[in-house]
Amino acid sequence: MSIAEKTKAKQELDPRARESMERAFRIPRARFVVGVVVGVAIFLWSANGAQFDFLKLGEGAANMGEFVLRMFPPDFSKIGLILALLLETLQMAVVGTVIGTVLSLIVAFGAASNIAPRWLYYLCRWTMNIIRALPDLVIALMFVSAVGLGPFAGILAMTIGSIGSIGKVFAEAMEAVDRGPIVAMESVGSSKRQVIQYGILPQALPLLTSYTLLLFEGNVRGATILGLVGAGGIGLELTTAMNRYDYGHLFAMVICIIVLVTIIDQASAIIRKKIT
Amino acid sequence: MTDLLMRPAQTRTDEPLVRIRDLKVRYSDDQPLVLDGVDLDLFRGETVALLGSSGSGKSTLMKALTGFAPIESGSVAAGDFDVANLQRGQLRRLRSQTGQVFQQFNLVGRLSVLTNVLTGSLYGAGAANMLGTFRSSDRVRALELLERVGIVHKAGEPARSLSGGQQQRVAIARALMQNPRVILADEPVASLDPRMSRTVLELLRQIACEDNIPVLVSLHVVPLALAHSDRIVGLRYGEIVVSGRTSELDADQLAPVYDLDDEEEE
Repeated sequence: MSIAEKTKAKQELDPRARESMERAFRIPRARFVVGVVVGVAIFLWSANGAQFDFLKLGEGAANMGEFVLRMFPPDFSKIGLILALLLETLQMAVVGTVIGTVLSLIVAFGAASNIAPRWLYYLCRWTMNIIRALPDLVIALMFVSAVGLGPFAGILAMTIGSIGSIGKVFAEAMEAVDRGPIVAMESVGSSKRQVIQYGILPQALPLLTSYTLLLFEGNVRGATILGLVGAGGIGLELTTAMNRYDYGHLFAMVICIIVLVTIIDQASAIIRKKIT
Repeated sequence: MTDLLMRPAQTRTDEPLVRIRDLKVRYSDDQPLVLDGVDLDLFRGETVALLGSSGSGKSTLMKALTGFAPIESGSVAAGDFDVANLQRGQLRRLRSQTGQVFQQFNLVGRLSVLTNVLTGSLYGAGAANMLGTFRSSDRVRALELLERVGIVHKAGEPARSLSGGQQQRVAIARALMQNPRVILADEPVASLDPRMSRTVLELLRQIACEDNIPVLVSLHVVPLALAHSDRIVGLRYGEIVVSGRTSELDADQLAPVYDLDDEEEE
């Protein structure tokens, strides 16, 4: 068969497919129906297993309201301590984010299919999967046992945790860039490093920055939780206040955390807007 | 048509800079040939328009010239390079000497116009540009090239802020930054309005003359090919069906390129 004949044969549409496409209403494909049924079944099975119950939530709403009322009024008498701990939390988040971002970026280069060779791609993807599977608190406990109580353990936990989470989205941001400029770079004889530096990174930069800011916001919130296992930050003080039923102090800390997260969120929005 | 097929495209005494002989390209074993026995010479200072409908093999021919398409048989000689048998390092060197212009411009929209042009000098820039800097001499040259394509006043602006025609001129400046021995322009005006199309094609032809290099430009619009080239080559289903000097061709003679014969038969 000549090229012309083969090309023509490829251009023709199967009559049955054509008839199906012309119909206004089509019977859903069997696999779509099966997919929906399986999806609903999995959801109901999970809701049952997880004891998901809206009625129970309704019945307990009064208790929740009582708990919230107990937190009023907020007690700012230890504002100095709260600010010092918040500052420590913020510092942990800054250091954890910077080191975490650098390491995530390195791993992401290996985990981007348009950059790395196949063997490195799978190695990096599996490494990130394993890290993501480990709960942050377990990672924090590992580092607390290694370097002792304090913010240093928290920073290390944040850094490792970042590779699992943000490394994956970094890699996907690099994979999603427009291929055109990459083709142009390869066409001028650029090396792999130059293609990444001038073709991929500038395109991915807005997304990388956005994810880094998201990581920072997450690390600030995460640092409050890591404190629960003695890994520094305001978390330990939060737990202590709860255990002592010191709800006024607890509420003051929650308000301060909300203010800090809001400021960071607003600053992040401004930076994102400038970059994109 | 037969006469056109058999007639030598050009009678010249100088050596071609690019010589393609019996080129066959196939992307995979279960696919038909994309190029089937293509012969083509490109000479210094001439603009050759490559006509053909989508899927006729125009882009593949351009890719074959830079080692981006798998050559099944035949030869592609570009200067000192035997393209079918190049190692990775030699391929990079060949590409560094071949300016390419694309339909979608392929600029990095966030980078400045100047930086986009400077990326044309990446080959051989070594580790010096690892920090994102380029040699002063390269910068001077990039600005001169932007002047040449008439867009130096936009040098500091991000490429994405430019119109399509302006972006294509930046892409041409980037190609010139390579000091190319040949320029390949793959449908460079397909995204542009008619006026800008004429401007860009005239610029490419001017470059071919002034720099004394061949420019191979693939097009869809026959009148543009007739107005802005020295020679026309028509591809259909991977084979050259028309080849001749532009001055000796007219739209009717180019009809076979776009299947017009088939429609008449039907």
